[in-house]
Amino acid sequence: MDVTRRGFLKLTGLSVVALATGVGIDPAAAQAQGYALKIEGCQKIPSICHFCSGGCGMLLYVKEGKLIYLEGDPDHPTNEGTLCPKGASLRAVAYSPQRVVRPRRRAPGAKDWEDITWEDALNRVARKVKEVRDATWLANEEIPAAKTGRSTSYAVNRAEGIAFLGSAEVDNEESYLISKFCRVLGVPYNEHQARI
Amino acid sequence: MARKMIFVDTSKCTGCKACTVACKEWNDLPAEKTHLIESYQTMRDFTPKTWTYVTFIEQYHNKTMDFFMRKAQCFHCGDPACLKACTSNAISKSADGLVVINPDKCIGCGYCAENCPFGVPKVDVVRKKAYKCTGCVDRVENGLTPACVQTCQPGALQYGERETLMAKAKERLNEVRKRYPGAQLYGEHEMGGTTYVYLLLDAPEVYHLPQHPSVPVSLTLWKDVIRPVGSVAVGGAAAAVVVGVLGNWFRGGYRREGGPPDGGEHHSPAGKAGKGGKE
Repeated sequence: MDVTRRGFLKLTGLSVVALATGVGIDPAAAQAQGYALKIEGCQKIPSICHFCSGGCGMLLYVKEGKLIYLEGDPDHPTNEGTLCPKGASLRAVAYSPQRVVRPRRRAPGAKDWEDITWEDALNRVARKVKEVRDATWLANEEIPAAKTGRSTSYAVNRAEGIAFLGSAEVDNEESYLISKFCRVLGVPYNEHQARI
Repeated sequence: MARKMIFVDTSKCTGCKACTVACKEWNDLPAEKTHLIESYQTMRDFTPKTWTYVTFIEQYHNKTMDFFMRKAQCFHCGDPACLKACTSNAISKSADGLVVINPDKCIGCGYCAENCPFGVPKVDVVRKKAYKCTGCVDRVENGLTPACVQTCQPGALQYGERETLMAKAKERLNEVRKRYPGAQLYGEHEMGGTTYVYLLLDAPEVYHLPQHPSVPVSLTLWKDVIRPVGSVAVGGAAAAVVVGVLGNWFRGGYRREGGPPDGGEHHSPAGKAGKGGKE
């Protein structure tokens, strides 16, 4: 295209006028483009919902270490991007002011809880486990035979005073570790809410 | 951009209320204390902080119970009464068909809430703003589906192009009618065709919805008749003033050296104009 100096100036002038007066720009359309996503610039972290044993996939949108939003993972075979109300509201659990985020202890007979360190908490639990296990250990059990009524002593090696309670919020891997831990301690009482 | 549609297939709804939660999560709305109202329904109405909830209606036929569950939110009408009623141009309609209140422009006058045939917008008296479902316009404009549609597990909510989805909805209606003969689509033509279109399992009255929702007559009268006529009257009055002043000026009514101006001639056009303006 052959553009003369005068023609160029004319065109420029016209475009400036058009822009300044908004000719050719639909204000409604311009407004529509103005919506920014609140998850923009977020890191997308795939995760698993722990609310039940269904194990739905979740996408966590995290910005500067804070969870901005979470929704179902569209690529997850269990839920294909959807979430139930409990899963969808997990962000409220994460930032609930009532959430306990450090170990606490209520001394026997005391009214109030006190914050303790993780080391203290683990030591206390370990000490109690050892104490109870030693006190209630059953190495052999006398079991009478049904026909003769004569008792025979069998080696059972059970920790009678300890029980484990799982929950629906325990995932596969945790369940494995818990049952393994039960075997190690000699605890036969490993229960789960789904069986009750 | 073609108009979009959200198809609410109430025959598939399980009443899990995930849509309510997802809405609150996306729009950062706080939880509210709920009460059991009827059946499993926990919200009586919309609030400035709850833009969608599920209504539960128990219908008994021959000692068997049917659960009629419906996700309630703004219908996003094709011909929205709220947009017409808005006094501050705060309500706009996107090309997708979503009706959105701009909180920066809203003054909380409550005209939208008064005129909505479904009673959707609710005014927050503290913030002095009206709030309602935005149709997740921010998500939709950025190529995502609304948060409620995204989270719906039984697939009762679907989002898509209006034409294709409407055809699907009609197909589904034929299927559902075998079990629920009273089933019907709600929102195909109502209020100029709403963006949220429902497949209801019974008549709208069963769901406490108006059978023929419409823009209130008072609003139509006000905005389409009185306001235009009024502006013509005001314009006419202003024109009368100008004409009067010019006439006087030409005839020399304002010239000091030409003697005192004629009071009667000077005042009469202005007086007429004042009367015209009041009407």
